[in-house]
Amino acid sequence: MKSLLKNILFHSKSNTQVVLSTIGAFIGMLALLFSVLLLNDIESFQNSDDDLLSSNSVIIQKRVTRFTTIGLNSTEFTNEEIEELKQKEFIEKVAAFQSASYGVGISEYPNDGLPSFYADLFFQSIPDEFIDVETNWNWNEDSEFVPIILPRDFLMLINYGIAESQGMPQISEDLLAVARLKIHMNGKTKRGKITGKVVGFSQKISSVLVPESFLNYSNNLYGSTNVKLPQRLFLKVKKGSFGQLEALMDDMNLDIKKSALDLSKIKTFVNVIILVFLIFAILIILLSILGFVQYIQLLLNKAKQDIIILNRIGYKFETLLKVMLNHFSKVFIVISIIASVTVLSVKFLVINPLLQKNGIEVANNQIGLCLIVAITCVIGFVLLNYQSVKLTLKKINN
Amino acid sequence: MVSMKIEFKSIIPDPLKDNEQTKHSVWGSDYKWESPQKVVLNAVSGKGKSTFIGLLSGVRTDFEGELIINDINTKQFSNKDWTELRVNSISTVYQDLQLFSGLTILENLQVKNNLTHHFTEEKLVQLIDKVGLTEHISKKCKLLSLGQQQRVAILRALCQPFKALLMDEPFSHLDTANEAIIVEILKTELDKNQAGLIITTLGDKPAINFNNEIVI
Repeated sequence: MKSLLKNILFHSKSNTQVVLSTIGAFIGMLALLFSVLLLNDIESFQNSDDDLLSSNSVIIQKRVTRFTTIGLNSTEFTNEEIEELKQKEFIEKVAAFQSASYGVGISEYPNDGLPSFYADLFFQSIPDEFIDVETNWNWNEDSEFVPIILPRDFLMLINYGIAESQGMPQISEDLLAVARLKIHMNGKTKRGKITGKVVGFSQKISSVLVPESFLNYSNNLYGSTNVKLPQRLFLKVKKGSFGQLEALMDDMNLDIKKSALDLSKIKTFVNVIILVFLIFAILIILLSILGFVQYIQLLLNKAKQDIIILNRIGYKFETLLKVMLNHFSKVFIVISIIASVTVLSVKFLVINPLLQKNGIEVANNQIGLCLIVAITCVIGFVLLNYQSVKLTLKKINN
Repeated sequence: MVSMKIEFKSIIPDPLKDNEQTKHSVWGSDYKWESPQKVVLNAVSGKGKSTFIGLLSGVRTDFEGELIINDINTKQFSNKDWTELRVNSISTVYQDLQLFSGLTILENLQVKNNLTHHFTEEKLVQLIDKVGLTEHISKKCKLLSLGQQQRVAILRALCQPFKALLMDEPFSHLDTANEAIIVEILKTELDKNQAGLIITTLGDKPAINFNNEIVI
């Protein structure tokens, strides 16, 4: 029954218009799926813990000037300044770096594999949620050792600077992670030693970090009684607000790790490009759907007399509507399936390996997201065409 | 089997509003028809014969008065209600035949029969053979003569159960031999369906025992 009805309804079909609309829908669908998946990758990258410092978190400090050197201004942040930063609309969180108020030195434990050394250091701590290293970060007085996170650059400096110039052997990350370290805490009135162990290397925080609990404990025992104000702050800013942050940095004469800003700018730029791409993709899809809608209306109007005859011999308009919708929905479903398979294949076989090769983790919900977008498009197409065919048939009936 | 009732209550179609109607004319009067009555409308052109058929088949709704089918005013009918009637109760042969010119004879019958499943495929072929169109069975209707097309349109109207068969000048292009064949087929199908017939003609009435004649 359907093939005869199709013969009647589609007898004046124009293959060129169908092919053009199909190609348009296919290209639009490819562009849409690609841009949604890439945006999803960026979103997931931005939301990952790994990205705390690069996308929406930055460490700021005051610029050290000549006046700072001669003691005419301070690089400390006052409570008022911290409050002022908290009030900024684009800043979500402000956390201060706490510092040890006593001298810190570290040396090796004999027989743990490290060469003999002694180095003066400093300890700082930040709230756990800002730490970009996954590790057991708890400490109490009964703990076997104090966990320490070193900046990765620090190890590089030792291996490719100090070690080379002082004839010391180089130290690997693995060795440093298993060897114990003697921590020398040198207060003005009191000195002490405790065992420490490097539990991780931070890519982004250029500070020697210890747990807040240890810093509080050791400051109480060895630190000066003067309350020190923080000199470095950790800011979590809203996405896409790095322009405002940069302006604030200039206003308050603040210093910020330039690479963090640059990276965020690149990300924002990529985001904008993909968003523009997405908008174009949506426009292409809409245009191709409109192409289909217009084509279907043209077909119906050309078959107007036959539709009237069909109705006069007993065919309901609903039946004719179903035939039209079934046909074009199948076309759009096939387009969506081919586009989805193409996009997922390219994504999994080409883009994902390329991103992973460059150390960028990709989102893991790609197939689901791709299907959701494709199904949404198909539903939109069917609904739009349903309305359009219904209206046209109604007009023909009148 | 349940019969079918059609009532005209003071109906005047819009195109005939300004015409003066005779005393016995169906237009503006009350008229009742019930299956299996067989009636003929014999009148000259312009009197509203096709309009009469158009009203009964639901194709025309531009009229004053009331048309009651099976005790329901057709003003309440939706397009869906009319299509139900066109599949199960009222079958029509239109004056302009309303065939699908791009389909073959067999396909034109199948379009209707696929909807009703009234005849088997074999029966369709038999009917085509009976009206002398076997050699043209796969020919597109636009390539047929008017007489051949008329026979196809009549056969298509029979591809459904019906209580009222409406025929608008169905034999206008048929020779007497073909008319006789068609009339025989009609009689059989009318009996089988226990259906009535409303037929319009321009001149000679077909050889069917009509119960009465409608004057318009």
